[in-house]
Amino acid sequence: MKYVALALAAVAVGTPVLAEYPERAIEVTIPAPAGGGTDTSARKLGTLLEEELGTSIAVLNVAGGGGSVGVTQFMMQKPNGYSLLATWNSPITTVPQVQQTAYQPDSFTPIASTSETAYTLCVKPEFPAETGEEFLAELAANPGKYTYGNDGIGGTMQLAAERIFQGEGIEAVAIPFGGAGETLQNFLGGHVDIYGGSISPVLPYTESGEAKCLIVTSAAAVPALPQAAGLESLGMGDKETLLWRMVLAPAGTDQAIVDRLAEALEKTVNDPSYVEFLATKGEVPNVVVGDALAERLQNEYDALAIVAENLGLNQ
Amino acid sequence: MELISQIFGGVFAFGPIAAMIGASILGVFIGALPGLNPVMAIALLLPLTYSMEPLVALGMVAGIYNGSMYGGAIPAILLRIPGTPAAIATTFDGFPMAQRGEASRALKIACWSSAIGGTASAIALMTIGPVLARATLYFGPAEYFWVAMFGMASIGVMVGKDAVKGLMAAAFGLLLGTVGLDQLSGTPRFTFGEVWLLSGLDLIVILVGLYALPPVIALAEDRDLKGLSASALKLESVKVPWGEVRSMVPTWLRSSLIGISVGILPGAGGNIAAFLSYNAAKSTSDDPESFGKGNPLGVAAAECGNNADNAASMIPALTLGIPGNVIAALVLGALMIHGLQPGPQLFHQNPGLVGGFMVQMLLTSLLILAVGGAAATRIFAQVQRLPGVMLVPMILVLMAVGVYVINGRVIDLWVMFAAGIAGYVLEKLDVPLAPIVLGLILGPMAEQSVRRALLISRGDPTELFTRPLSAVIALATIGLIVWPMLRAWKRRRA
Amino acid sequence: MTERRQDIILGGVFAATGLSAAYIAAGYRGASGIYPMSLGYVIAILGAIVAIKAMLRGSSEPREIIRKAPQALLTVGIGAIYLALVPILGFYIASALLVLTLPAALGFRRLLFTFVTAAIFVGIVWVIFSVILEKPLPMPVWISY
Repeated sequence: MKYVALALAAVAVGTPVLAEYPERAIEVTIPAPAGGGTDTSARKLGTLLEEELGTSIAVLNVAGGGGSVGVTQFMMQKPNGYSLLATWNSPITTVPQVQQTAYQPDSFTPIASTSETAYTLCVKPEFPAETGEEFLAELAANPGKYTYGNDGIGGTMQLAAERIFQGEGIEAVAIPFGGAGETLQNFLGGHVDIYGGSISPVLPYTESGEAKCLIVTSAAAVPALPQAAGLESLGMGDKETLLWRMVLAPAGTDQAIVDRLAEALEKTVNDPSYVEFLATKGEVPNVVVGDALAERLQNEYDALAIVAENLGLNQ
Repeated sequence: MELISQIFGGVFAFGPIAAMIGASILGVFIGALPGLNPVMAIALLLPLTYSMEPLVALGMVAGIYNGSMYGGAIPAILLRIPGTPAAIATTFDGFPMAQRGEASRALKIACWSSAIGGTASAIALMTIGPVLARATLYFGPAEYFWVAMFGMASIGVMVGKDAVKGLMAAAFGLLLGTVGLDQLSGTPRFTFGEVWLLSGLDLIVILVGLYALPPVIALAEDRDLKGLSASALKLESVKVPWGEVRSMVPTWLRSSLIGISVGILPGAGGNIAAFLSYNAAKSTSDDPESFGKGNPLGVAAAECGNNADNAASMIPALTLGIPGNVIAALVLGALMIHGLQPGPQLFHQNPGLVGGFMVQMLLTSLLILAVGGAAATRIFAQVQRLPGVMLVPMILVLMAVGVYVINGRVIDLWVMFAAGIAGYVLEKLDVPLAPIVLGLILGPMAEQSVRRALLISRGDPTELFTRPLSAVIALATIGLIVWPMLRAWKRRRA
Repeated sequence: MTERRQDIILGGVFAATGLSAAYIAAGYRGASGIYPMSLGYVIAILGAIVAIKAMLRGSSEPREIIRKAPQALLTVGIGAIYLALVPILGFYIASALLVLTLPAALGFRRLLFTFVTAAIFVGIVWVIFSVILEKPLPMPVWISY
């Protein structure tokens, strides 16, 4: 009723006055199920953002279609600053390659990216390779022998791996699973040879010696995985594919609102408590706003389009 | 010793205790109200707890989870509306008991069975959890396929009068399960260009419609203008005689084992634990014909089984960092927000917190006896004193709000409504509804696992039978189908 | 309608559903089509068996589908109107109207009782979903801006 009253008041005054933004609750759509990586990151950020903006934030999880269901549903929202999308990059830059989606990377008003991490490829300790280079050589020497688990056909993880493999002429069998947890389970049980997924689930197993991670998909190496080579050191720094998260608004959102939100996000993402939280998941804060963010989305989209095309996955 | 005092010291503080009691009562209500379910409630409440003391937050999760599994039995028994998917099997015998005027007895059995299943499961979590978790790693795609088949075999007990119609319903459920984006190829199937269908048909949306709307229409047809009087409710405390309690012990043991086994398998899901327990109770019974007609053992098996799944489903999450269901994922998320790193070292990182949560799973199972048996059941029974015609729109509103908040879209309301009308008609035509739901639950798991297994074996189907573990489960599945037939044949000869 | 005719129609509907599902699934790429296609055929065969069984030895006893047509149809009809009104009037107004009108339509005449119960009930739902859980529910069209 609080909102009803506020809304009635706003109607009485006339058009909403932006100087007062935000004057009611903000609804954040998360195109992933509750409890996942994007969900926890966004919810934690939401609690900080509530304080910063002085309004409450309601979260709506709409999972499915690799994120496209939630994003498409979000497209119907009004660009009034009260509907935001907290997503990772896959639904925006990867999914449109393999599905018919009603949106493109430029169908939104970008607000800010928040954090990022790399994907990694890990093997069992007995795998005949100790470095990233040896790993790729072993795969190249045995086309079609090894299976690697990933987050789903045409998902960012698969495209990130294939982007590396295609450069080296490697053929490995992709086994799609429902998520990193499922991939990890099948990797630990020996049902697939290679773990492909985000870093944080597999991290404890590298420490216990049950997994050795030999490659990360970022250009630079990742401190938490000392054995894994960054792509730069393998001479393919341009093949970097990251897992990163962002907040978007519907196209046509007022610039004043975008600026207000970007400023609030920049502050909350770099809040020590949030940075510490990100660290436990192997993520680092990285705020990119405005046109730079739009450009980042478009570049990634174009690069992955080539990979998808080579795989014959594209629509 | 120090560890134990650390764990119990943390749990037996005012905040966590109050949270557990409050959340258990809340959980019973969430489970009891059709449309509300524990996953939704925990997902909605957890963010509110990020700033709280971790053990208070986890106590709330444990209370809601265990309480709601029992709560689902209340409308299942009184109205034949399962409050949660896991309570479908409870309706089979619970509602006939209520019609016989034994509602109170059925509720009491459900309450005790829930508490026992939950307790057994929590003890498994605390003692052999890590060992069990390692064992689940041997389950690859081939084994998961057979687990799904094992679940499908329990359709036998729910096909009803006409086996062909039962199988038809099951196949239809499997077909509904294929709607949406195929995870293994990215092909959209039966989506007719509708984006909201890409994620498939939401189980809860279908279930609420299929199972809640027909009883609501029946309530309207009854056109009860007065409401039940307190005496007609017969909810005074009934004593369940000792002999009957003893006769349930084997059922409780069996159902607890089944619930725990299903619970520890990531992704297998608790909804089938109740079905499997019910199936096992029926096929080992000397009088299988009495099931479905108000056999108390049916209620005991289903309720014990679905609660025994709870704590066990936390085992892979807490010991391996692999969440087996949404609630386990939410708990891991909550632990991460409090700075813990899920994985094999989780317990050692903060034994007070992780061990405390295990103790809370145990305590909230026992709390079901207190809050479920007395307060909550009585309060909920008061609702039945409202005239039936008033209950009709109220249940409709709860169904609508529950379905709407899952995905925040109006179209789901119509899916629910359509499923409900279909359910009403199908039931009258002797087409059982449970196989449809079972197909919807297990179909995606069966299809995806078998296709993954074939991808891994490069298309060689013998892999499905020759792996030792898959062979064992395959044989068990066949046994599950053949065993009741053998027994029936023997009985006929005798 | 007799049981026989009902089952013939039932089997026919399922057979048709199965066949059309199989037809659609035949167009899907590779492995993703085989499973739904075979399911479609299985449903079609089982539907046909139901229909044929009914033709051969179906009982000609009538079997009721709707026990009390006026009440059942009223409930379904008003329920459908309710769902249609939710996005227009908003969740709370539509729900209040439903709780007020449906009992009356079913013949409940204690207006004060209905009114008080409806107010308490909608109040509880509002407290749970809008105050405690802060879930956005459909708002009236004239308020969303």
